[in-house]
Amino acid sequence: MSRSARPQYKINTELLRSRLKLKNIQSENLLKTQHPRAVAMLEAAGVRPGGLRAHASRLLAAGAVATTLMFSPNQPVPAIASLPESSHHEPVSPDIQRQELKNQLKEVLPRQIRPLLENEEKQLSGIFHALYGIHTAAELEGNRLNTDYGFIGAEQHLPRYPGDTVGNHNFLPERGMTPGRGAWGYFTDSKNNLTPDLVSKEKYYVAVQTLYLPDWETRLPYLRDWYKHRKVLVINPRSGKAVVAVIADSGPAIWTGKQFGGSPEVMDYLESKDGRQRGPVIVFFVDDPNDTVPLGPLEYNLEQPQLLISKKI
Amino acid sequence: MSKVFYDHLVIREEVDCELNNYQLDKEEKDELIDIIDRTLHHHILNVILSHLPRNKHPEFISKLHADPGSEGIMEYLKTQIGPYIEEEIKKQSRKVKQEILSEIRKNKIK
Repeated sequence: MSRSARPQYKINTELLRSRLKLKNIQSENLLKTQHPRAVAMLEAAGVRPGGLRAHASRLLAAGAVATTLMFSPNQPVPAIASLPESSHHEPVSPDIQRQELKNQLKEVLPRQIRPLLENEEKQLSGIFHALYGIHTAAELEGNRLNTDYGFIGAEQHLPRYPGDTVGNHNFLPERGMTPGRGAWGYFTDSKNNLTPDLVSKEKYYVAVQTLYLPDWETRLPYLRDWYKHRKVLVINPRSGKAVVAVIADSGPAIWTGKQFGGSPEVMDYLESKDGRQRGPVIVFFVDDPNDTVPLGPLEYNLEQPQLLISKKI
Repeated sequence: MSKVFYDHLVIREEVDCELNNYQLDKEEKDELIDIIDRTLHHHILNVILSHLPRNKHPEFISKLHADPGSEGIMEYLKTQIGPYIEEEIKKQSRKVKQEILSEIRKNKIK
């Protein structure tokens, strides 16, 4: 880099500073608007998004890299000196969380696979909130599915846009793709408009039996819109695994003996095998008006972002 | 200046050289560089979080907090998103840099 011996020009420093500060505030607001939860996680750990370099300097000055909040499956999370006091909690591993869920579900779920009773639903909502910091309900805004505890079968990938092929699906393409669109059509009108959010919605989708709802035909315009990409929590009581998905297809048919369908990724994660090993699942609506609950496997408590416990899935 | 994991993708020298053309105190220049750096952080984090699956956000934030300068973070992102994420970061940083250079030149006193 070459430098002049003496700067040539004068500059309106005050105005430039104000303009750059404005850009900085705008960029911060944009980041917070688009990714509020991620920003909240970072700030809960005592770091503002724009202050990464200062944080790196502090770590260097302290002479140690801050201990990661992540831990390998065989190592506990040590105390993290650089985090605020409120975050010094005993961490919970996904395995322990799953076992806890399994234990609690055993106390509540009926032996028979059937629609749950109101008191069972209330207890489950409480358990899910305590473990995952997520608000769920079997009935939301006066709407409920024909069942919330039933068997789930494997579905194929859905075409996301006209011309989509199974080869374009990066995850589990060997599970195939349906020849026709899902019940709510394509996710977008072209490949160019396929966003990461829509990729995620197809990746983690479920089919539910909206066609068998008693008022489906009479309230079709409202219900079709209400159920489209409605967020649900799907729990496999046998594995203790939970995944947040969206409703993107209707079915399966009643003669299959199943009440729900899961995308390849949903089924793969839940360890619900189709065919002879049909597994029952719980499906509750996620009450998420601000769309902050992320799709995919749920392995941490959303209301305690400092407990960022996960391991490679 | 401490390292952040994407520094090799963001060419800051152009901004530094541009500011050297103006009569600025060291403190004034350092302050402007700091504001610019923070702005770049926001934009690049936005690019990354927009491409990274949302269920991976906690994992990424955790790695970032632990060691913002770790090269492992970029490898992690390339695995989770794809190798093209480096080009996306470069593209965004070029765009932001041009806006900032334009802003600096606009405030030159003629």
